[in-house]
Amino acid sequence: MLALYFVLLGAALWLGSGFAALGRPSERTALPLSLLGSLLGVVGAVLCLVQGGAGSLDFHFAGFPARLAIDALSAAFLLPLHLVAGLGALYGSSYWPLDSPKGTGRSLRFFFALLVAAMSLVFLTRQGIFFLLAWEVMAVSAFFLISTNHEDASVRRAAWVYLVATHMGTLILTAMLILLARRCGGWLWGPILGAAAPKLDVAILVLAILGFGFKAGWIPFHFWLPAAHAGAPSHVSAILSAVMLKTGIYGVLRISGFLPRIPIGVGGVLLLLGAATALYGVFYALAERDFKRLLAYSSIENLGVIGMGIGLGLTGRATHDSWLAALGFGAALLHVWNHAAFKSLLFFGAGSVLHATGTRDMEVLGGLASRMPRTVRMLFPGVLAVAALPPFGAFVSEWVLYRGLFAALMRGYPWTAGLALPALALVGGLAAVAFAKFFGIIFLGSPRSAAAEKAHDPHLPMLIPMGILAVLCLALGLGSAWLLPGLDRVVVVLAPGVSGQLAASLGFELRMIGGFGGALILVGGLAWLWVGRPGKRKNPQLAPNQPTWGCGYSAPSVRMQYSAESFSEGWANLLPGRRIRMRRLKAIFPTPSTFHLELSDSVGLGFLEPRVERLANRALWFRRLQPGFLTIYLLYVLLALLGVFLWMLARPWLLPLLGWSA
Amino acid sequence: MSEFPFVHSLQVLLHILTALLLSPLIPGLINKVKALMAGRVGPPVFQLYYDLAKLSQKQAVFSRTTTWIFLAGPVGTVAAGLVAAMLVPFGQDHAPMHFQGDVILFAYLFGLARFLTVLSALDTGSSFEGMGAAREVTFAALAEPALFLGFAALAKSTGSLSLSTMLAHTGPLFRFSGPLVLVLAGWAIVYMAENSRIPVDDPNTHLELTMIHEVMVLDHSGRPFALVLYGASLKLLVLGALLVGPILPRNAGPLLNWLEFYLALVFLAVVVGFAESVMARFRMTKVPQFLVAGVLATAFAFLLMLV
Repeated sequence: MLALYFVLLGAALWLGSGFAALGRPSERTALPLSLLGSLLGVVGAVLCLVQGGAGSLDFHFAGFPARLAIDALSAAFLLPLHLVAGLGALYGSSYWPLDSPKGTGRSLRFFFALLVAAMSLVFLTRQGIFFLLAWEVMAVSAFFLISTNHEDASVRRAAWVYLVATHMGTLILTAMLILLARRCGGWLWGPILGAAAPKLDVAILVLAILGFGFKAGWIPFHFWLPAAHAGAPSHVSAILSAVMLKTGIYGVLRISGFLPRIPIGVGGVLLLLGAATALYGVFYALAERDFKRLLAYSSIENLGVIGMGIGLGLTGRATHDSWLAALGFGAALLHVWNHAAFKSLLFFGAGSVLHATGTRDMEVLGGLASRMPRTVRMLFPGVLAVAALPPFGAFVSEWVLYRGLFAALMRGYPWTAGLALPALALVGGLAAVAFAKFFGIIFLGSPRSAAAEKAHDPHLPMLIPMGILAVLCLALGLGSAWLLPGLDRVVVVLAPGVSGQLAASLGFELRMIGGFGGALILVGGLAWLWVGRPGKRKNPQLAPNQPTWGCGYSAPSVRMQYSAESFSEGWANLLPGRRIRMRRLKAIFPTPSTFHLELSDSVGLGFLEPRVERLANRALWFRRLQPGFLTIYLLYVLLALLGVFLWMLARPWLLPLLGWSA
Repeated sequence: MSEFPFVHSLQVLLHILTALLLSPLIPGLINKVKALMAGRVGPPVFQLYYDLAKLSQKQAVFSRTTTWIFLAGPVGTVAAGLVAAMLVPFGQDHAPMHFQGDVILFAYLFGLARFLTVLSALDTGSSFEGMGAAREVTFAALAEPALFLGFAALAKSTGSLSLSTMLAHTGPLFRFSGPLVLVLAGWAIVYMAENSRIPVDDPNTHLELTMIHEVMVLDHSGRPFALVLYGASLKLLVLGALLVGPILPRNAGPLLNWLEFYLALVFLAVVVGFAESVMARFRMTKVPQFLVAGVLATAFAFLLMLV
């Protein structure tokens, strides 16, 4: 109960900070308010996860019964939300100053606060209509955040595409919530008791996966994501990627938790969908040259990995296999936490680079490691974590997922695990390509432009959040065993009857992994000390600093370095959305030539856009219904009323004809 | 094993010493075999030990472009290799450390080493090293599924996710059965690629354009280069133990097991040296096809285990 009040107070403080940013004293009140709000939110969520206490608050609002409640599942998502939001507010205070031109500083703070408050409510509400309201406030404030930089035509377009996509999702969710209300016998949510209704349950689950899939960015619903995340200010991208995408995950988990029985097969399909999403995301991530789009595609990949976990968990529930359910849901939730930590760190780092150089194009960067040494030191753990390498947190969550996939293989169900296993291994390898490129091309080597040459470290308010997240990435890897009791509390919500499985069965292994991580750091530290001390034999004529060995070529230039596109060429040329324009070299002494490469999302731009365009043109026909005369519109109202009246009259006769009870 | 704590701790000590000290012998053996095949006397078998001793005395030269990340590659390779060595049984029933799921840690430790090596190559800003790094990550992404499919086949057969059990007690996958041969064939390809041997890569070629692994460490010298060489030999040993593990018969006495293990490693070195002597390196465009063959072999083994 205490936890619920903490979180509600935190959300209220955030809302207050949003209004404070619009008022006069602004930053000096707004920032402390939001930091305090986040602190309360984090404390509330941790309380709930550690003590396992749930609390709920019933009241009537506008004649509807409403319920706000917190349980371990809500807390598992509130924790990253308030952590990333608080750090984002601190980061944003320096990254996007309050007195930015055209008032964007103020509107950004207002909508950021509104987004955080709305998302807190999304995780707390247990009633269909209020859930939709909170969902809509969240979606619309995210729209205003994405369009902060609205003078840029591409940002405007990205924001519109996002708005349309999110409303398509909301439309499906509305249908799903109506079915759920029918199943629950009211708008209030709760575990469904009573007679089984398998067809209705399947409909609810499938609609939930489709509707929430728009938010979670599972293919083919991911098309809005890369442009929206790339165009938003970086701390906004961080919260969108680290938390807002997860509201889709939360929705699927919450709704599936209500259903008494999970139909068999849905889990396997979700597992395959997740694997396909992960592969698709990582392929585009490695081909991108815009580093924020690269990070956005990597979010698609990670959300796919989380989807694989959920698919396994649902399979476990469908087959009454509690071990599989615990592993699947546990992997998904661990990855939610880890992804929140490393992806917000990476977006903060990307924001620092953007701040220092003014470009998102990797091809003109390079050599930032020596110019932004602090940023690099803090970003390095994030890059290792996103490639799922030990001893960082994301390795542990993928490890749990591998355990789940192997466990599914042993039981022989689902057979899809056999496909998902090599897919996950391939995703791991390709993520390494994408992030070796991200880190190597931006930070290592020599600067490829004057902007990169003059880059410098950002101020402390931008560095501190990155430092905290970097430590968190490592801590999540070394101390993962201590997360298990909290994780078990969440799994109980998702799969009733599965209690304490993870802590009992994985505790030893995760402590071993943490120990190996520690050993790795220890051995590496010793080797580092040994390498750091120079050998005894000195050559007095040898200058310790030499240019890089040019393999015999005497006049190397920075433009001869490997570029981002050449680095990932081996895999990227398999992508269908890649177009190369170049003039062939002719004759023995060729004239100067050009090479141009374009990458477009083959599902979003290649497949969906022309079809949507055609549909929109057809829809223009409806304009004829809008002549612009008031009398005509009144006539429409009258006709509609008449239609409803006739329906009410004919209902008792018509429904039995269709085989429904009136 | 637990009744004899003394024997057990001796075993662990021997394992650690083997990992720490014996690995530089393998490249020496391979080079000796290659020299003999070519009718030369060749460098002594202990040449790598001499090289390491000399390099650790020498002053290192660093390119002005590099930062601390330049050192992360060599250091990470050795650290990951040594830690991974604790997870593989060296011809015995158990590795010093084992737990359910340690195979995944094992595979990802090599991923870590590779990632850091690639970053330290990119740190020099050299186009040649960038080229090597790009090739390394591209090919490694293909080697990873092959490794994992092999693990999946063995896991299905043994019902365990611990390397010690998977390699020592292969269950229905008895020695020289079809699926096991396929797994080992796939892993042999992974072994060639991961250790940059012919036909994937030529460690002794003279042209930077044609290299993969060697070109990434062009700028290392002195102690960092000593770590690079030592890390490479560790990889030969640890992945070699993985490759010979399922074939070795298990005896009652640990002494016989150790003897067999060492003999198997010598045999592996001879086979690698022989293969390098009679084959040429593939064209770079052929390498992915070779690796896909490895993936397919292990995928077939996995399918055979599923049905």
